Amino acid sequence: MAIYSFWIFDKHCNCIFDREWTLISNSASGTINSKQTEETAKLLYGMIYSLRSVTQKLSRDDTANDVRSISIGKYRIHTYCTASGLWFVLLSDYKQASYAHVLQYIHSHIYVKYVTHNILSPYDFAANENETRGQGFRKIGNRNFISSLEAFLAPMIAQ
Amino acid sequence: MKSKEDINQSDKKMDRPNVASNAPTVADTQEMTEQQKLQHQLQIFQNSLPKVSQTAYMMLLNECVPLSMAVERKRGDCNSKLDRNCDDEVSQAGEQLQKIHVSPPLDPPSHQLCRELYEADEEKHNRVLDRLRNIGFEIGNKITELLVFSNNPNLQFKDMDLLSVMKFICRDVWRQMFNKQIDNLKTNHRGTFYLFDYDYQPIQSFALDSESSEKELQMVKPFLEIAVGVIKGVLASIGHAPEDVICLASYVDRPDEKPKASFTKGVSFHVQITM
Repeated sequence: MAIYSFWIFDKHCNCIFDREWTLISNSASGTINSKQTEETAKLLYGMIYSLRSVTQKLSRDDTANDVRSISIGKYRIHTYCTASGLWFVLLSDYKQASYAHVLQYIHSHIYVKYVTHNILSPYDFAANENETRGQGFRKIGNRNFISSLEAFLAPMIAQ
Repeated sequence: MKSKEDINQSDKKMDRPNVASNAPTVADTQEMTEQQKLQHQLQIFQNSLPKVSQTAYMMLLNECVPLSMAVERKRGDCNSKLDRNCDDEVSQAGEQLQKIHVSPPLDPPSHQLCRELYEADEEKHNRVLDRLRNIGFEIGNKITELLVFSNNPNLQFKDMDLLSVMKFICRDVWRQMFNKQIDNLKTNHRGTFYLFDYDYQPIQSFALDSESSEKELQMVKPFLEIAVGVIKGVLASIGHAPEDVICLASYVDRPDEKPKASFTKGVSFHVQITM
Protein backbone atom coordinates (compact mmCIF):
# COMPACT_ATOMS: atom_id res chain seq x y z
CA MET A 1 0.00 0.00 0.00
CA ALA A 2 1.12 3.52 -0.68
CA ILE A 3 -0.21 7.01 -0.18
CA TYR A 4 0.53 9.87 -2.52
CA SER A 5 -0.80 13.02 -0.92
CA PHE A 6 -2.86 14.35 1.96
CA TRP A 7 -5.13 17.39 2.12
CA ILE A 8 -7.31 19.16 4.69
CA PHE A 9 -10.11 21.53 3.69
CA ASP A 10 -11.99 23.71 6.13
CA LYS A 11 -15.63 24.77 6.15
CA HIS A 12 -14.89 27.80 3.98
CA CYS A 13 -13.73 25.61 1.07
CA ASN A 14 -10.13 26.60 1.81
CA CYS A 15 -7.30 24.16 1.67
CA ILE A 16 -5.65 24.58 5.08
CA PHE A 17 -3.07 21.85 4.75
CA ASP A 18 -1.49 19.88 1.94
CA ARG A 19 1.33 17.44 1.68
CA GLU A 20 2.51 15.60 -1.41
CA TRP A 21 5.01 12.80 -1.56
CA THR A 22 5.02 12.24 -5.31
CA LEU A 23 6.72 15.45 -6.40
CA ILE A 24 9.98 14.73 -8.13
CA SER A 25 12.22 17.01 -6.07
CA ASN A 26 12.46 14.87 -2.96
CA SER A 27 9.91 12.15 -2.55
CA ALA A 28 10.91 11.23 0.98
CA SER A 29 10.36 14.55 2.65
CA GLY A 30 7.44 15.91 0.66
CA THR A 31 6.73 19.62 0.37
CA ILE A 32 4.42 22.02 2.13
CA ASN A 33 2.41 24.84 0.63
CA SER A 34 3.96 24.64 -2.80
CA LYS A 35 2.37 26.92 -5.40
CA GLN A 36 1.68 24.19 -7.91
CA THR A 37 -0.57 22.34 -5.49
CA GLU A 38 -3.03 25.23 -5.29
CA GLU A 39 -4.71 24.32 -8.56
CA THR A 40 -4.84 20.64 -7.65
CA ALA A 41 -6.47 21.50 -4.35
CA LYS A 42 -9.23 23.45 -6.08
CA LEU A 43 -9.92 20.67 -8.57
CA LEU A 44 -9.91 18.06 -5.85
CA TYR A 45 -12.28 20.09 -3.73
CA GLY A 46 -14.58 20.68 -6.67
CA MET A 47 -14.77 17.03 -7.58
CA ILE A 48 -15.50 15.86 -4.04
CA TYR A 49 -17.99 18.67 -3.50
CA SER A 50 -20.04 17.87 -6.59
CA LEU A 51 -19.96 14.14 -5.98
CA ARG A 52 -21.10 14.70 -2.41
CA SER A 53 -24.06 16.78 -3.47
CA VAL A 54 -25.03 14.19 -6.06
CA THR A 55 -24.80 11.28 -3.67
CA GLN A 56 -26.81 13.15 -1.07
CA LYS A 57 -29.57 13.66 -3.62
CA LEU A 58 -29.42 10.01 -4.62
CA SER A 59 -30.11 8.93 -1.08
CA ARG A 60 -33.58 7.40 -0.83
CA ASP A 61 -34.19 8.24 2.80
CA ASP A 62 -32.72 10.75 5.19
CA THR A 63 -29.79 8.64 6.25
CA ALA A 64 -26.38 9.94 5.35
CA ASN A 65 -25.09 8.83 1.98
CA ASP A 66 -21.63 10.28 1.96
CA VAL A 67 -18.73 9.76 -0.39
CA ARG A 68 -16.09 7.58 1.21
CA SER A 69 -13.72 7.03 -1.63
CA ILE A 70 -13.51 7.79 -5.31
CA SER A 71 -11.50 5.61 -7.66
CA ILE A 72 -10.09 7.15 -10.79
CA GLY A 73 -7.58 5.91 -13.34
CA LYS A 74 -4.41 6.58 -11.39
CA TYR A 75 -5.34 6.53 -7.75
CA ARG A 76 -8.04 6.31 -5.17
CA ILE A 77 -9.28 9.33 -3.19
CA HIS A 78 -10.38 8.72 0.38
CA THR A 79 -12.48 11.33 2.11
CA TYR A 80 -13.51 11.83 5.69
CA CYS A 81 -15.85 14.72 6.42
CA THR A 82 -16.52 15.86 9.97
CA ALA A 83 -19.71 17.51 11.15
CA SER A 84 -17.70 20.67 11.80
CA GLY A 85 -17.07 21.01 8.10
CA LEU A 86 -13.52 19.73 7.91
CA TRP A 87 -12.56 17.42 5.07
CA PHE A 88 -9.62 15.08 5.36
CA VAL A 89 -8.60 13.77 1.96
CA LEU A 90 -6.00 11.12 1.23
CA LEU A 91 -4.80 9.95 -2.17
CA SER A 92 -3.56 6.38 -2.32
CA ASP A 93 -3.09 3.39 -4.62
CA TYR A 94 -5.68 0.61 -4.95
CA LYS A 95 -4.28 -1.92 -2.54
CA GLN A 96 -6.29 -0.85 0.48
CA ALA A 97 -10.02 -0.29 0.21
CA SER A 98 -10.52 2.01 3.17
CA TYR A 99 -8.42 4.55 4.98
CA ALA A 100 -11.33 5.71 7.13
CA HIS A 101 -9.63 4.70 10.38
CA VAL A 102 -6.43 6.51 9.38
CA LEU A 103 -8.26 9.74 8.59
CA GLN A 104 -10.34 9.45 11.72
CA TYR A 105 -7.19 9.03 13.78
CA ILE A 106 -5.58 12.08 12.16
CA HIS A 107 -8.62 14.14 13.06
CA SER A 108 -9.12 12.95 16.62
CA HIS A 109 -5.53 12.45 17.77
CA ILE A 110 -3.47 14.90 15.75
CA TYR A 111 -5.68 17.72 14.51
CA VAL A 112 -7.64 18.13 17.73
CA LYS A 113 -4.57 17.81 19.92
CA TYR A 114 -2.26 20.21 18.14
CA VAL A 115 -4.57 22.65 16.38
CA THR A 116 -7.78 22.79 18.39
CA HIS A 117 -6.12 22.69 21.81
CA ASN A 118 -3.43 25.14 20.81
CA ILE A 119 -4.66 28.52 21.96
CA LEU A 120 -2.01 30.30 19.89
CA SER A 121 -3.40 28.85 16.70
CA PRO A 122 -6.68 30.00 15.16
CA TYR A 123 -9.47 27.44 15.10
CA ASP A 124 -11.00 29.13 12.07
CA PHE A 125 -8.38 29.78 9.44
CA ALA A 126 -10.41 32.39 7.58
CA ALA A 127 -9.62 35.59 9.48
CA ASN A 128 -12.28 37.68 7.76
CA GLU A 129 -15.12 37.58 5.26
CA ASN A 130 -12.77 37.94 2.29
CA GLU A 131 -11.02 34.72 3.07
CA THR A 132 -14.10 32.52 2.94
CA ARG A 133 -15.39 30.77 -0.19
CA GLY A 134 -12.06 29.32 -1.20
CA GLN A 135 -10.21 32.65 -1.13
CA GLY A 136 -8.23 31.86 2.02
CA PHE A 137 -4.50 31.32 1.98
CA ARG A 138 -3.68 30.52 5.60
CA LYS A 139 -2.33 27.05 6.27
CA ILE A 140 -1.51 25.01 9.30
CA GLY A 141 2.18 25.57 9.93
CA ASN A 142 2.33 24.21 13.44
CA ARG A 143 5.48 22.14 13.92
CA ASN A 144 3.94 19.72 16.40
CA PHE A 145 1.10 19.01 14.02
CA ILE A 146 3.38 18.51 11.04
CA SER A 147 5.90 16.32 12.82
CA SER A 148 3.36 14.00 14.38
CA LEU A 149 1.41 13.76 11.14
CA GLU A 150 4.59 12.89 9.29
CA ALA A 151 5.54 10.31 11.85
CA PHE A 152 2.11 8.78 11.57
CA LEU A 153 1.94 8.68 7.78
CA ALA A 154 5.59 7.86 7.09
CA PRO A 155 5.18 4.07 7.05
CA MET A 156 2.49 4.38 4.36
CA ILE A 157 4.43 6.55 1.93
CA ALA A 158 5.32 4.83 -1.35
CA GLN A 159 8.44 2.70 -1.20
CA MET B 1 21.50 29.18 46.50
CA LYS B 2 24.54 27.19 47.63
CA SER B 3 22.83 25.01 50.14
CA LYS B 4 20.11 24.00 47.77
CA GLU B 5 19.04 20.55 48.60
CA ASP B 6 17.16 18.09 46.55
CA ILE B 7 14.22 16.89 48.55
CA ASN B 8 12.52 15.27 45.68
CA GLN B 9 13.13 11.84 47.11
CA SER B 10 11.47 12.58 50.37
CA ASP B 11 8.67 14.21 48.49
CA LYS B 12 8.00 10.98 46.71
CA LYS B 13 8.05 9.10 49.93
CA MET B 14 5.52 11.52 51.38
CA ASP B 15 3.08 10.14 48.90
CA ARG B 16 1.97 7.59 51.41
CA PRO B 17 3.24 8.83 54.74
CA ASN B 18 1.08 6.55 56.81
CA VAL B 19 2.87 3.58 55.32
CA ALA B 20 6.33 5.08 55.29
CA SER B 21 6.51 6.82 58.66
CA ASN B 22 4.97 4.33 61.03
CA ALA B 23 6.89 1.14 61.52
CA PRO B 24 4.13 -1.42 61.89
CA THR B 25 4.64 -2.89 65.35
CA VAL B 26 1.96 -4.82 67.15
CA ALA B 27 1.00 -1.82 69.25
CA ASP B 28 0.64 0.33 66.16
CA THR B 29 -1.71 -1.99 64.39
CA GLN B 30 -4.77 -0.37 65.86
CA GLU B 31 -3.53 3.08 64.84
CA MET B 32 -2.66 1.89 61.37
CA THR B 33 -6.17 0.75 60.76
CA GLU B 34 -7.35 4.09 62.09
CA GLN B 35 -5.09 5.82 59.57
CA GLN B 36 -6.28 3.55 56.83
CA LYS B 37 -9.84 4.33 57.75
CA LEU B 38 -9.09 8.04 57.41
CA GLN B 39 -7.43 7.46 54.07
CA HIS B 40 -10.43 5.49 52.97
CA GLN B 41 -12.75 8.27 54.05
CA LEU B 42 -10.67 10.78 52.11
CA GLN B 43 -10.93 8.56 49.06
CA ILE B 44 -14.69 8.40 49.43
CA PHE B 45 -14.87 12.15 49.84
CA GLN B 46 -12.76 12.78 46.77
CA ASN B 47 -14.83 10.39 44.73
CA SER B 48 -17.94 12.22 45.85
CA LEU B 49 -16.68 15.57 44.53
CA PRO B 50 -18.33 16.54 41.27
CA LYS B 51 -16.11 15.56 38.38
CA VAL B 52 -15.33 17.76 35.45
CA SER B 53 -13.61 16.92 32.21
CA GLN B 54 -9.90 17.67 32.44
CA THR B 55 -9.91 18.95 28.89
CA ALA B 56 -12.83 21.32 29.33
CA TYR B 57 -11.34 22.59 32.57
CA MET B 58 -7.94 23.27 30.99
CA MET B 59 -9.59 25.08 28.08
CA LEU B 60 -11.52 27.28 30.48
CA LEU B 61 -8.43 27.98 32.59
CA ASN B 62 -6.47 28.96 29.50
CA GLU B 63 -9.24 31.18 28.21
CA CYS B 64 -8.64 33.38 31.27
CA VAL B 65 -5.61 34.85 29.48
CA PRO B 66 -7.36 36.11 26.33
CA LEU B 67 -10.29 37.10 28.54
CA SER B 68 -8.06 39.32 30.68
CA MET B 69 -6.71 40.90 27.52
CA ALA B 70 -10.26 41.51 26.27
CA VAL B 71 -11.10 43.19 29.57
CA GLU B 72 -8.03 45.39 29.18
CA ARG B 73 -9.15 46.36 25.67
CA LYS B 74 -12.64 47.26 26.87
CA ARG B 75 -11.16 49.33 29.68
CA GLY B 76 -8.98 51.17 27.20
CA ASP B 77 -12.00 51.88 25.03
CA CYS B 78 -13.95 53.31 27.98
CA ASN B 79 -11.05 55.54 29.02
CA SER B 80 -10.53 56.95 25.57
CA LYS B 81 -14.23 57.68 25.33
CA LEU B 82 -14.14 59.61 28.59
CA ASP B 83 -11.07 61.47 27.45
CA ARG B 84 -12.71 62.68 24.33
CA ASN B 85 -15.14 64.66 26.47
CA CYS B 86 -17.95 64.48 23.99
CA ASP B 87 -20.51 67.23 24.46
CA ASP B 88 -22.16 67.17 21.09
CA GLU B 89 -25.53 65.55 20.79
CA VAL B 90 -24.64 63.26 17.93
CA SER B 91 -21.93 61.28 19.65
CA GLN B 92 -24.03 61.01 22.79
CA ALA B 93 -26.89 59.61 20.81
CA GLY B 94 -24.47 57.21 19.18
CA GLU B 95 -23.18 56.11 22.54
CA GLN B 96 -26.66 55.53 23.82
CA LEU B 97 -27.39 53.50 20.74
CA GLN B 98 -24.38 51.40 21.50
CA LYS B 99 -25.60 50.83 25.02
CA ILE B 100 -28.95 49.46 23.90
CA HIS B 101 -27.29 47.18 21.39
CA VAL B 102 -28.72 43.77 22.21
CA SER B 103 -25.65 41.69 21.51
CA PRO B 104 -22.39 43.63 21.74
CA PRO B 105 -19.81 42.74 19.11
CA LEU B 106 -17.84 39.62 19.96
CA ASP B 107 -14.27 39.84 21.16
CA PRO B 108 -11.63 38.83 18.64
CA PRO B 109 -10.65 35.14 18.69
CA SER B 110 -8.31 33.99 21.45
CA HIS B 111 -5.17 33.59 19.36
CA GLN B 112 -5.49 37.20 18.23
CA LEU B 113 -5.90 38.41 21.82
CA CYS B 114 -2.80 36.45 22.84
CA ARG B 115 -0.88 38.15 20.06
CA GLU B 116 -2.15 41.55 21.20
CA LEU B 117 -1.08 40.81 24.73
CA TYR B 118 2.39 39.96 23.44
CA GLU B 119 2.56 43.22 21.51
CA ALA B 120 1.05 45.41 24.24
CA ASP B 121 3.23 47.97 26.01
CA GLU B 122 4.68 47.10 29.37
CA GLU B 123 2.13 48.94 31.48
CA LYS B 124 -0.77 47.25 29.76
CA HIS B 125 0.99 43.90 29.84
CA ASN B 126 1.53 44.18 33.58
CA ARG B 127 -2.08 45.10 34.21
CA VAL B 128 -3.19 41.97 32.38
CA LEU B 129 -0.73 39.81 34.31
CA ASP B 130 -1.97 41.32 37.57
CA ARG B 131 -5.51 40.46 36.61
CA LEU B 132 -4.46 36.87 35.93
CA ARG B 133 -2.61 36.62 39.23
CA ASN B 134 -5.72 37.86 40.99
CA ILE B 135 -7.78 35.12 39.37
CA GLY B 136 -5.20 32.58 40.54
CA PHE B 137 -5.10 34.13 44.00
CA GLU B 138 -8.83 33.66 44.42
CA ILE B 139 -8.63 30.07 43.22
CA GLY B 140 -5.68 29.39 45.54
CA ASN B 141 -7.51 30.67 48.59
CA LYS B 142 -10.51 28.53 47.88
CA ILE B 143 -8.58 25.43 46.97
CA THR B 144 -6.85 25.40 50.36
CA GLU B 145 -10.22 25.56 52.00
CA LEU B 146 -11.40 22.64 49.91
CA LEU B 147 -8.34 20.50 50.57
CA VAL B 148 -8.25 21.26 54.26
CA PHE B 149 -11.93 20.74 54.62
CA SER B 150 -11.61 17.35 53.01
CA ASN B 151 -10.11 16.18 56.30
CA ASN B 152 -6.96 15.01 54.67
CA PRO B 153 -5.00 12.69 56.98
CA ASN B 154 -1.83 13.48 55.02
CA LEU B 155 -1.87 17.00 56.38
CA GLN B 156 -0.69 17.90 59.86
CA PHE B 157 -1.69 21.47 60.43
CA LYS B 158 -0.42 21.58 63.99
CA ASP B 159 3.21 22.00 63.03
CA MET B 160 2.92 23.35 59.54
CA ASP B 161 6.38 24.66 58.89
CA LEU B 162 7.17 26.29 55.59
CA LEU B 163 8.53 23.11 54.08
CA SER B 164 5.40 21.12 54.72
CA VAL B 165 3.31 23.98 53.37
CA MET B 166 5.34 23.85 50.18
CA LYS B 167 4.95 20.11 50.05
CA PHE B 168 1.24 20.60 50.43
CA ILE B 169 1.33 22.86 47.36
CA CYS B 170 3.52 20.48 45.38
CA ARG B 171 1.48 17.43 46.15
CA ASP B 172 -2.12 18.19 47.02
CA VAL B 173 -2.76 21.53 45.35
CA TRP B 174 -1.01 20.58 42.14
CA ARG B 175 -2.75 17.25 41.97
CA GLN B 176 -6.10 18.91 42.51
CA MET B 177 -5.48 21.52 39.84
CA PHE B 178 -3.26 19.87 37.25
CA ASN B 179 -3.73 16.17 37.90
CA LYS B 180 -0.04 15.68 38.58
CA GLN B 181 2.54 16.56 41.22
CA ILE B 182 5.36 19.04 41.01
CA ASP B 183 8.34 17.14 39.62
CA ASN B 184 11.00 18.60 41.84
CA LEU B 185 11.21 20.89 44.88
CA LYS B 186 14.39 22.62 45.92
CA THR B 187 15.00 24.85 48.91
CA ASN B 188 17.78 26.58 50.82
CA HIS B 189 15.80 26.21 54.08
CA ARG B 190 15.72 29.99 54.45
CA GLY B 191 12.45 30.75 52.78
CA THR B 192 13.49 30.28 49.17
CA PHE B 193 11.93 27.50 47.16
CA TYR B 194 12.09 26.37 43.58
CA LEU B 195 9.19 24.30 42.29
CA PHE B 196 9.91 22.56 39.01
CA ASP B 197 7.14 21.33 36.78
CA TYR B 198 8.72 19.85 33.68
CA ASP B 199 5.47 19.35 31.84
CA TYR B 200 3.10 22.01 33.09
CA GLN B 201 -0.20 20.68 31.81
CA PRO B 202 -2.09 23.74 30.50
CA ILE B 203 0.55 24.75 27.95
CA GLN B 204 1.57 21.38 26.57
CA SER B 205 -0.04 21.65 23.15
CA PHE B 206 0.80 25.31 22.56
CA ALA B 207 2.95 26.21 19.59
CA LEU B 208 3.30 29.01 17.11
CA ASP B 209 3.47 28.25 13.43
CA SER B 210 7.19 28.70 13.04
CA GLU B 211 9.97 26.90 14.82
CA SER B 212 10.19 27.15 18.57
CA SER B 213 11.39 30.65 19.39
CA GLU B 214 11.80 33.26 22.04
CA LYS B 215 8.58 34.84 20.81
CA GLU B 216 6.66 31.65 21.44
CA LEU B 217 8.02 31.40 24.97
CA GLN B 218 7.07 35.01 25.66
CA MET B 219 3.59 34.49 24.28
CA VAL B 220 3.02 31.45 26.46
CA LYS B 221 4.42 33.10 29.58
CA PRO B 222 1.15 34.79 30.68
CA PHE B 223 -0.36 31.32 30.98
CA LEU B 224 1.97 30.63 33.91
CA GLU B 225 0.64 33.59 35.88
CA ILE B 226 -2.50 31.84 37.04
CA ALA B 227 -0.38 29.19 38.75
CA VAL B 228 1.73 31.98 40.30
CA GLY B 229 -1.48 33.44 41.69
CA VAL B 230 -2.59 30.06 42.97
CA ILE B 231 0.66 29.59 44.90
CA LYS B 232 0.31 33.05 46.45
CA GLY B 233 -3.32 32.38 47.24
CA VAL B 234 -2.59 29.12 49.01
CA LEU B 235 0.21 30.73 51.01
CA ALA B 236 -2.04 33.66 51.91
CA SER B 237 -4.78 31.40 53.20
CA ILE B 238 -2.26 29.56 55.37
CA GLY B 239 -1.03 32.82 56.88
CA HIS B 240 1.72 34.23 54.68
CA ALA B 241 0.45 37.62 53.59
CA PRO B 242 0.80 38.27 49.86
CA GLU B 243 3.15 41.19 50.46
CA ASP B 244 5.63 38.85 52.19
CA VAL B 245 5.67 36.44 49.29
CA ILE B 246 7.47 36.83 46.01
CA CYS B 247 6.56 34.29 43.39
CA LEU B 248 7.96 34.33 39.87
CA ALA B 249 7.59 31.90 37.02
CA SER B 250 10.35 31.24 34.53
CA TYR B 251 11.37 28.62 32.02
CA VAL B 252 13.90 25.89 32.70
CA ASP B 253 15.37 23.24 30.46
CA ARG B 254 13.90 19.84 30.89
CA PRO B 255 16.31 17.27 32.30
CA ASP B 256 17.52 14.73 29.77
CA GLU B 257 16.05 11.71 31.45
CA LYS B 258 12.54 13.15 31.21
CA PRO B 259 10.53 11.85 28.25
CA LYS B 260 10.09 14.42 25.53
CA ALA B 261 6.94 16.50 25.92
CA SER B 262 5.49 18.60 23.15
CA PHE B 263 6.31 21.93 24.81
CA THR B 264 10.03 22.56 24.73
CA LYS B 265 10.58 23.98 28.20
CA GLY B 266 9.77 23.09 31.75
CA VAL B 267 8.53 25.68 34.23
CA SER B 268 10.16 26.79 37.43
CA PHE B 269 8.25 28.68 40.12
CA HIS B 270 10.55 30.65 42.35
CA VAL B 271 8.96 31.34 45.72
CA GLN B 272 10.56 33.63 48.26
CA ILE B 273 8.97 34.12 51.65
CA THR B 274 10.14 36.72 54.15
CA MET B 275 9.41 35.91 57.75
